[in-house]
Amino acid sequence: MPEKTTMGGAGLIGILILAVVLIAVPHLVSFSQQELLVLLTINVLVVVSYRLQTLTGEWSLAHVVMMGAGAYGSALFAKSFGFPVPLAMIAGAITAGLIAAALSFPLFRMKGFYFLIGSFAAGEILRLIWKRFTDPFGGPKGIQRIPGFPEIDLGFIHIDFYDPANYYYLVLVVVLVSLWVLYRVEKSRIGLTFNAIHWQDKLSESVGVDAFRYRMLAFVIASFFAGLAGALYAHYLSTVNPNQFDVNTMVYVLIWTIVGGTSRWYGPILGVVALTIVDEVILRSIGVDQVRPLLYGLILILAILFLPNGLESVVIKAKDALLNRGRAGVPDGSAALRK
Amino acid sequence: MKSASSISLNRRTLLTGAASAALLPVIGMPKASFAQENVVKIGFLAPLTGPVAAWGKPGLDGCKIWADWMNEAGGIEIGGKPYKVELASYDDEDDAGKARTGATQLIRENEVKFIMMLGGNSWPGVEEIAARQNMLVSTLLPSDLTPDTTTLIAPCEVHPIYNVTGVDWLAANRPELKTAVVCAQDDALGKPSVATYLAAFEAAGIQMASPPLFFDPATTDFAPVMTQLLANKPDILCLDTCYADYVQPLCEQAFQQGYKGQIISCTLDFYQRIVERTSKEFMEGVIFQFPDFDDKALNDPRINFKKPNEFFAEYVKRYGATEWSAVSWEYSSILDLWADAAQRAGSIEPADVLVAMKDDGKGKHAFGDARWWGKELFGIDNALVGDWPVVVIRDGKATIAEFRSIPDWWDKNGELLVKHMTDLGQMWNQR
Repeated sequence: MPEKTTMGGAGLIGILILAVVLIAVPHLVSFSQQELLVLLTINVLVVVSYRLQTLTGEWSLAHVVMMGAGAYGSALFAKSFGFPVPLAMIAGAITAGLIAAALSFPLFRMKGFYFLIGSFAAGEILRLIWKRFTDPFGGPKGIQRIPGFPEIDLGFIHIDFYDPANYYYLVLVVVLVSLWVLYRVEKSRIGLTFNAIHWQDKLSESVGVDAFRYRMLAFVIASFFAGLAGALYAHYLSTVNPNQFDVNTMVYVLIWTIVGGTSRWYGPILGVVALTIVDEVILRSIGVDQVRPLLYGLILILAILFLPNGLESVVIKAKDALLNRGRAGVPDGSAALRK
Repeated sequence: MKSASSISLNRRTLLTGAASAALLPVIGMPKASFAQENVVKIGFLAPLTGPVAAWGKPGLDGCKIWADWMNEAGGIEIGGKPYKVELASYDDEDDAGKARTGATQLIRENEVKFIMMLGGNSWPGVEEIAARQNMLVSTLLPSDLTPDTTTLIAPCEVHPIYNVTGVDWLAANRPELKTAVVCAQDDALGKPSVATYLAAFEAAGIQMASPPLFFDPATTDFAPVMTQLLANKPDILCLDTCYADYVQPLCEQAFQQGYKGQIISCTLDFYQRIVERTSKEFMEGVIFQFPDFDDKALNDPRINFKKPNEFFAEYVKRYGATEWSAVSWEYSSILDLWADAAQRAGSIEPADVLVAMKDDGKGKHAFGDARWWGKELFGIDNALVGDWPVVVIRDGKATIAEFRSIPDWWDKNGELLVKHMTDLGQMWNQR
């Protein structure tokens, strides 16, 4: 069933409630959960940008490395070249986009599993370059003491972005704007072409669509936003190292995306939010640190068994059920006329 | 046959029950109350899961013994009041982001007065919060130290500098060994350790048969690594500070490829398993740096670690002999040092304890009296350095061969160490 693109009153109320929740949430959670909230919001951008790339049908294993390219780029622009941090973040994201553009030429000669393996190899090359060259990438230890986002002091208001609640609001604004851009891309003609390439690439090419260029465009856009997420991450933690962007992290992005579902734009968001709360809040609070990976794995298996179409299928079913209930509650017009 | 609806109901009931059980601790379970007692909370922020867990979890296990013993004895007497010790742990998974979240939880929610970390990858995430909150933090990796890290101390393990004692002992006892090779994972732990071994070999007049071999930490097949190492027929095979998950397959490969020479390593965690998988004969004479605490040499009066043999026996009783690792005693020895300083300060406040700890520039290290040192190498004298044991496998059992002085070696060969650290970009001002 195609996704509805127009919004009714209920949708607007839903968005309003969501906005209130997003604004209020740092004040409702503990200090450590505020820290978690920042990382979670950054990860939302990572998974949603990843989903954009999957629209063309190609699943990359280099997405987290692209995030790293943005993180390293932004860190170097700020630390070594003295760029102001906001500018360095944008420059870092552009760097990730440019690297993706360069990698597209060898990678999009491949499709399917070959692309998956090729993207893994390309990502590893990039990661090993960071590890190999101590100057300028810091080698295995990475880059440390990366400048943080500058404080804002207007006399009557002082905002220190080291405070996780303040940084959360900054990240939230950046991520919401990014999600809006990604949503508009998906709903535009470009997004429709991505889908066309995914399901009928030969047919698309036969009507004049340049599949290579569109695949490249999806990869570049996804990498730009992954790079932006990496830049937000680097300036928050003040450190980047090659291990933060290894294949283990990529596996988490895949899990979040798959468990959330990819047929709706919000699917990966559900995945990353639900699984982060399960792993970082619920399982940690039980106090069973050493068996946490085991329990996490068990929950994943259960999720796949009971929700093969992802968490988004629950939302879709709930929405359908509400709509049906709504229709059942409204008297049939023709019946009224018959009376 | 059950109807579909009844299956669905059961499934729902099951899931609801599981979710409720999972949420219960979040909503709030009754906790033991120590409101009537003075309690001092100590934070433990180290990897408890993942590939580096072997250097976190056994340390937490050791700390539990330390805390139980201390509390059974009535707690720590500080400022005339007995304090019960409570441990608060957080699994940082060797990740800076998780470490930052963990540090925030420990400092601002658990209100700990001291945090023990493994350090390395996780420390940069904690550095600023520790500085802002003036929190006293310990690391096992002094390579985290810089002139700015004034509240960070390395009071137990001056990794990797103590590795010089093993090479020094080897050169004195087996002067016929003239060539060596070294390998390490290419990361922040492997590189400074390689620099240290290179300096120690050079100081001992031992030539390198080939340049250091750095392998990727994702390596799972160690056969080609070992083949390359043994190609130049070295007298000494040095396994540097390889993680526990690498040391075992590397030893197995050396055994399978017929190596007969000397092995030296920083750690040899869970060495009994390596002996089982190779042979007693093959492992005879292997040198490393971390003793079993049932060693009688630890009963020497100069040793400051309290009741080492009893500690080892209790550890084995609780967790099993094969669970003992390099870090099983280290965090506990840091707790000894902290408790001693807190008693002398008459306070549990981090700033007071740090001042007392560094009083006179000397401290009571686990293996004897030591001095606060490190300015030349780390830019700050926050590493406690003294004697360190050289451990040798004899008849399948780790045995302390001798205690050797790290400061003595440094006084004679410090320039060599600085040279090799600089060459590998490991000095504090290069990081």
